Amino acid sequence: MTEEKPDAISEQFTNVLKSGKTVLTLEESRKVMELSGVPFNKSGLAKTEEDAVELAKKIGYPLVMKIVSPQIIHKTEVGGVKVNIGSDEELKKAYNEIIASAKAKVPDAEIQGILLEEMVSGTELIIGTTTDPQFGHMIMFGIGGIFVEVYKDVSFRLIPISAGDANEMLNELQGGALLKGVRGLPGADPKQLVEILMSVSKLVEDHPEIAEMDLNPLMITKRGTIAVDARILLNEPTK
Amino acid sequence: MENIESFFKPSSVAVIGASATKGKVGNIVINNIIFGSKSNQENAIVGGFKGNIYPINPQLNEISGLKVYKSLREIPSKVDMAVICIPPKGVKDAIEDCGKSGVKSIVIITAGFSETGKEGGKIEQEILDTAKKYDIRIIGPNCLGIISTYADLNATFGDAVPGRGPISFVSQSGALCTSIIQYSFEEFLGFSNFISIGNKSDVDDANLIEYFHKDPYTKCIMLYIESLKDAREFFHTARRVVRDKPIVAFKSGYTEEGARATSSHTGSIAGSDAAYEAAFKQAGVLRAKTLSQLFDASRALAYQPVPKGENIAILTNAGGPGVLAADKAYSLGLKLAELSDETMGELNKVCPPNWSHRNPVDIIGDASASRYDDSLKILMNAKEIDGVILLLSPTAKTDALNIAYRIVDIHETTGKPITVSFIGMVAQTSENYLDSKGIPEIEYPERAVFAMHALMERMKFLKKEELM
Repeated sequence: MTEEKPDAISEQFTNVLKSGKTVLTLEESRKVMELSGVPFNKSGLAKTEEDAVELAKKIGYPLVMKIVSPQIIHKTEVGGVKVNIGSDEELKKAYNEIIASAKAKVPDAEIQGILLEEMVSGTELIIGTTTDPQFGHMIMFGIGGIFVEVYKDVSFRLIPISAGDANEMLNELQGGALLKGVRGLPGADPKQLVEILMSVSKLVEDHPEIAEMDLNPLMITKRGTIAVDARILLNEPTK
Repeated sequence: MENIESFFKPSSVAVIGASATKGKVGNIVINNIIFGSKSNQENAIVGGFKGNIYPINPQLNEISGLKVYKSLREIPSKVDMAVICIPPKGVKDAIEDCGKSGVKSIVIITAGFSETGKEGGKIEQEILDTAKKYDIRIIGPNCLGIISTYADLNATFGDAVPGRGPISFVSQSGALCTSIIQYSFEEFLGFSNFISIGNKSDVDDANLIEYFHKDPYTKCIMLYIESLKDAREFFHTARRVVRDKPIVAFKSGYTEEGARATSSHTGSIAGSDAAYEAAFKQAGVLRAKTLSQLFDASRALAYQPVPKGENIAILTNAGGPGVLAADKAYSLGLKLAELSDETMGELNKVCPPNWSHRNPVDIIGDASASRYDDSLKILMNAKEIDGVILLLSPTAKTDALNIAYRIVDIHETTGKPITVSFIGMVAQTSENYLDSKGIPEIEYPERAVFAMHALMERMKFLKKEELM
């Protein structure tokens, strides 16, 4: 941890609150999480079609494309997301389709570009934090993905956690076998999971203005466990 | 802390609102302090509180042979603790009087404060402010009172008192207190301190845990919690105290926090219980999910030694109960010891050829007291076994009382824990004997397994914290 990192995070939060928001965009959330030491899939913002082709070379196919516009919160609903892009041709076609669709559905949208993300697959986990009215900040770890609220295979601890707490959290899941890898899916390095849990705990401990956050999904891939989506909510500033 | 201590070791007690009218709270409280209260236990409070007792009531001259004072100021010597049982509107002035007379601690039994709504809450706050001004600590209001068995003090309006013993209990429900006292008679549970904590306006769970930590009589802390006043403070205190003394907690009210402002997955999954569950685990507090678990775990932890390892043996005279107990043991993560050749050989010598030859050790329905005795000795002394769950299904051959005698003798020599179920038998001499000797005997085998589980969890915690 260098000295600048917490400052950069505080600055990010201050800017968000100044603009009258409490919810960080994916891009903002991701930046904060990366500064805290959480690994993410490779990504970059393309402002033109040519940009996109160059960027794709760095990220590698297949990849995911997402519209970036402050006015567009629900990207899928405006045709702003395309997945499994496998070649330069598909990339160019998708780029133009996304822009056209977004412009048609939200004519006054200020389009900042298109986010290209490495497409990863594997077992989906979740790490999140929330604020309990009595106990304050707590951290959650569990099996993630879209059914997280159905199965609720999760474990909670109060923040801050120790490495011992983090290890216990890993061992408490019903679906703990998924962490080791089943049916050919890659398994997770428990040490790395513990590190990520500790990083998230530290982030919230250092920044109690964080009300809630999700890293969902966090994917167990062949090259380690990496976050794919992030969401941070701040407390309303006290006036 | 000094003022907290004066609740449990006062040199003198005043009862504000003492009454001579039978059935009134002020009458029951003063008589309980003077005479103690009925109990069927050998080691119960006998003869009541030995320090000075000052009944206060402006309208009376004498109650139960004691001089009654018009007010605190009339009392010639120092008063440590006061018990208040007058109607709510007079409580604030009573506390002002206590402050001026140097009272250190007050138990407010009177109800009608924050539990009734906003108006009551306001009065409770005023009372609290007055007490703070004089550095007085308050238990209650809206409670049954407190019992300190080693100080011979029963300052409650209950009709019974538990025997002395190693458990200290704090309950947010007064009704539960009286029920637990009844239960304690049957199971021979002994208590050091017994606190109905009421509205927790001042003294809360954390303060009491802190006191029990230093109380030499307390070996196990038992809590019934509905809500916490300062949850984080509780967490930090419990985490520290539990390193020296086990804490078992029952938290009631699995209600979801309604209308929690949330838009994250994490927030929507976290009901109100998730934080309690997390806090208990992280602090090392053993959580009881039912009242029977609360009793069984507290009993085991208060009276039985902590095992050195996690391997148990189940000793039974019938197959069914053995399987049932084994299932429960697996589901709680207990390990059934694999019997060594040596143990097998020794059991072969004392059992008929058709004994189970594995753990659970089924020594067959015609098992006599001497076969139980031999087998239990072998298991309790076996290196691969850290604790024994003994089951007994009554048959025509069963000599339960003699088996109980042998269990106690063997237990005393080994230093390993044992929990017992004489299945289906209730309140018989054999069980009373076991209970009175600190061996948890429970009529349901699953509960005997849970009691052993509590001991195993304690062992795992102590090992994790490198305390054993």
